[in-house]
Amino acid sequence: MSRLARFWMVVQLAFRNLYSAKGKNILVGFLMLFGTCLVVLGTSLLDSIEHSMAKSITASVAGHLQVYDKNARDDLALFGSGFMGQSDIGVIADFDRVKKALSQVPNVKAVVPMGTNMAEFYSSTLLDRTIESLRQALSAGQAQKAQAIAAKIRAMATMMEGEFNNRLQVLKNQSEVEKQLSDIRRVKSAAFWQDLETQPDRVIEFLDTRLAPLVDENDGYFMRYLGTDLQLFAQNFETFEMVHGQMIPPGRRGLLVNQKFYDDVVRNRVARVMAYLHQKLIENGETIADDPLLQNIVDRLVRQYRRITFQLQPDDARMLAKQLQAYLPGAQGPIEELVQEFLRVTDDNFQDRHRFFFANIAPKIRLYLFDIGDVVTIRSYTKSGYLKSVNVKVYGSFSFKGLEKSDLAGAFNLMDIITFRDLYGMMTQEKRAELQKIQAQIGLADIAADQAENALFGETDQPGEAVRANAQGFDEFADIDLKATTDNGKSLHDTTYDQADIDQGMALHAAIVLEDPTQLVASQRAIEQAIDQHQLGLQVVDWQTASGMVGQMVTLVRVILYVAILIIFLVALVIINNTMVMATMERSVEIGTIRAIGGQRAFVLTLFLIETLLLGTAAGFLGAGLGAGLVSYFGQVGIPAAHDVLVLLFSGPRLYPSFGLGNLIAGASVILGVSVLATFYPALIATRIQPVVAM
Amino acid sequence: MENIVELKQVVKEYPLGKLTVRALSDINLTIEKGEFTVIAGPSGSGKTTLLNMVGCVDTPSSGSVTVRGQRIEQLGDRARTQLRLAELGFIFQTFNLIPDLTAAQNVEFPLLLQGTLTKKERQRRVAELFELVDLTPQIKQRPNELSGGQRQRVAIARALVTQPGIVLADEPTANLDSVTGLNIIDLMKDLNQKRQTTFIFSTHDQRVMQHAQRVIQIVDGCLSEGAPAS
Repeated sequence: MSRLARFWMVVQLAFRNLYSAKGKNILVGFLMLFGTCLVVLGTSLLDSIEHSMAKSITASVAGHLQVYDKNARDDLALFGSGFMGQSDIGVIADFDRVKKALSQVPNVKAVVPMGTNMAEFYSSTLLDRTIESLRQALSAGQAQKAQAIAAKIRAMATMMEGEFNNRLQVLKNQSEVEKQLSDIRRVKSAAFWQDLETQPDRVIEFLDTRLAPLVDENDGYFMRYLGTDLQLFAQNFETFEMVHGQMIPPGRRGLLVNQKFYDDVVRNRVARVMAYLHQKLIENGETIADDPLLQNIVDRLVRQYRRITFQLQPDDARMLAKQLQAYLPGAQGPIEELVQEFLRVTDDNFQDRHRFFFANIAPKIRLYLFDIGDVVTIRSYTKSGYLKSVNVKVYGSFSFKGLEKSDLAGAFNLMDIITFRDLYGMMTQEKRAELQKIQAQIGLADIAADQAENALFGETDQPGEAVRANAQGFDEFADIDLKATTDNGKSLHDTTYDQADIDQGMALHAAIVLEDPTQLVASQRAIEQAIDQHQLGLQVVDWQTASGMVGQMVTLVRVILYVAILIIFLVALVIINNTMVMATMERSVEIGTIRAIGGQRAFVLTLFLIETLLLGTAAGFLGAGLGAGLVSYFGQVGIPAAHDVLVLLFSGPRLYPSFGLGNLIAGASVILGVSVLATFYPALIATRIQPVVAM
Repeated sequence: MENIVELKQVVKEYPLGKLTVRALSDINLTIEKGEFTVIAGPSGSGKTTLLNMVGCVDTPSSGSVTVRGQRIEQLGDRARTQLRLAELGFIFQTFNLIPDLTAAQNVEFPLLLQGTLTKKERQRRVAELFELVDLTPQIKQRPNELSGGQRQRVAIARALVTQPGIVLADEPTANLDSVTGLNIIDLMKDLNQKRQTTFIFSTHDQRVMQHAQRVIQIVDGCLSEGAPAS
């Protein structure tokens, strides 16, 4: 009973002392409150980000763990390492062995082979496709249709002539442009088309080789692709979802294009800018007048008129000219000028022009460089550095749910791993046999370096070889049917493969999806043991490490937050310490009296600790409450992802944070720890005050 | 009679820069239980130093101080504190009440430090003491609501509440007017007679000395005992 009463008296004394120095204690309390609030808010946000980022990354491309070559020169960085160039992460030469060994490890749900690379992609232009339809009409003997198509091509040539006339005025190398103009004018002329019925091949060849290359509407586009076992990928990466088209059927080669990439890169630039401006001006409420960046985009938009005019069919061009003349009061002139006038958007007219564009112009042009269902040519550098091209069908578009607006997640396009291996320059047995056959046909032989000169120029006359070279020029492939890329003559995208083909080959890395992600650390250890046991020569990293810079970002933010908290608490610590030391000095007579009438040093120490703990608890309680309140508020309204990286970190366009008991305990623990630490020195001084001071 | 305090050849020196100041020189003193003793002398004579020795709040540089049979120079801080709590009561010149505790809480405070009595017993003892010092109506007031004399009465009650063998008072009337001061002395003398509590207090006030049973003069740290002034 007396202990309780004594404690209550100490509490009363502590309250009185806190009150008597209320000015200082309010300042100290505010610092403590702010610090606690920051701890609760910061750790809650970081935990929420970590949770959402884990979902973003593990459920999109990384899985929970990744394995790759133990002796890789670079670290695996799925979302980029922050440095230029492709990382060299080595090769998993025998994926089948890895899959079999790691699938046995408890808690492993799936081992998904992967490989990432960059490639250029090409697709046919409108002119290419019109020429192709002409070729088909001629082959089918549809003379009337062929004439109609020919008229289209002439009209297109007319538009090209105008374009190239403009070039002639601004380009220095006029002779080249004049030559090109001469070709265009030839196609425009009636004389050119007189040969259509008599010499159709010559006409088509001229169009293919001289006119078509002059259309440069889709050069220089790069794509990042992830080659994988697509069926396994779709089953195990839960955020993957198809948007348009269809999933690549099992055993088929193909490409799934990311919807974000499709909209941002493949889409017609004018349509892309219109969509971007709509988001900024209409959805976000920003204005062109207030934003220099938007002004710049609007200025450049006018110069993109060719992206529309060049794609218009002659009939559509005439129709659009009429529509624009009606839409733009007083506007006259050719279609090019009308479109330019239309593209001069302002804050006032944008919404209506956006509607007009997608209602009247978009249906008349090709909105995307390639459509779902098209075959595109992908060209990439192989591991050994030479260029390799494949034609693949684009089966559909997909997105990672919640990451639809993330550039980082949106950069991944998906491809079957067999095509990936082709682009990577993987030498299969089939390819090796094919190469040997070619080598045998052209009489290729390995020659030692010191024999090279003799072999090239002849030690003695070799009339047979000379004759062969003269007869065939330097076309060593003359005897070979290069149209058939495989032995059965099918084009690449018609070939099929099975699960054994997927497994029995190389991969650059492999994602490991776990049954229970909470056991990640234990599973990582078990996988390391399995790797050692089977001598797979791999290393295993968690998703955060595997994702590169992005994965480390949360760690970085956490460090920054902890440093900020540390600074705040250091300041609080110094202030509390000074305040308490001053208070101790002012209270020396009182402390001396307590000591004189029988108060032990421990009693004085308790008194000081309780004072600080009371202040710390009150400030900590309020601070934690404020922090929790702020987290709850943000949890309701969401924190917008202002940057693309944040979209990935937030697992969507907004973060809806939440807090847990752990965050509150962390806040309270930190503040109480700081309080006790800050009190230690003044309390020590207080216990050393002698009772004689009171006398 | 029992010797309650015994000082033998007590010397107390303080360092003052490079010098050493001798506050007490070769003090030999015995005080018996129930005495009402005044230590008198001018300012700086060593009264408070002597009182500090007896009150176990300071230790001698040499010699021995025995309080209730315990050699204080041989005790550690904890044991001396315990001795003060159990055997000594203090009345300070400036009262030294804890401002935000009520008068009753101030008096109860040493009992709480002892931690031996129940709440009921503590309340009974506090009430009894307030009656003794004639301050029952002010029991719930805070020190700043009391006059100087009333505060010193509260301080006396606090000094007596643990029923100590010795009460030490350092210039207890110095901050009081003469009438109040004499009333306080009368009160202490009354308590001394009723309870047989030993009172040792320092003063340089001749009127206070008149009430003493025994007066110990101290000049320049040396004792000379004299009869109480009549």
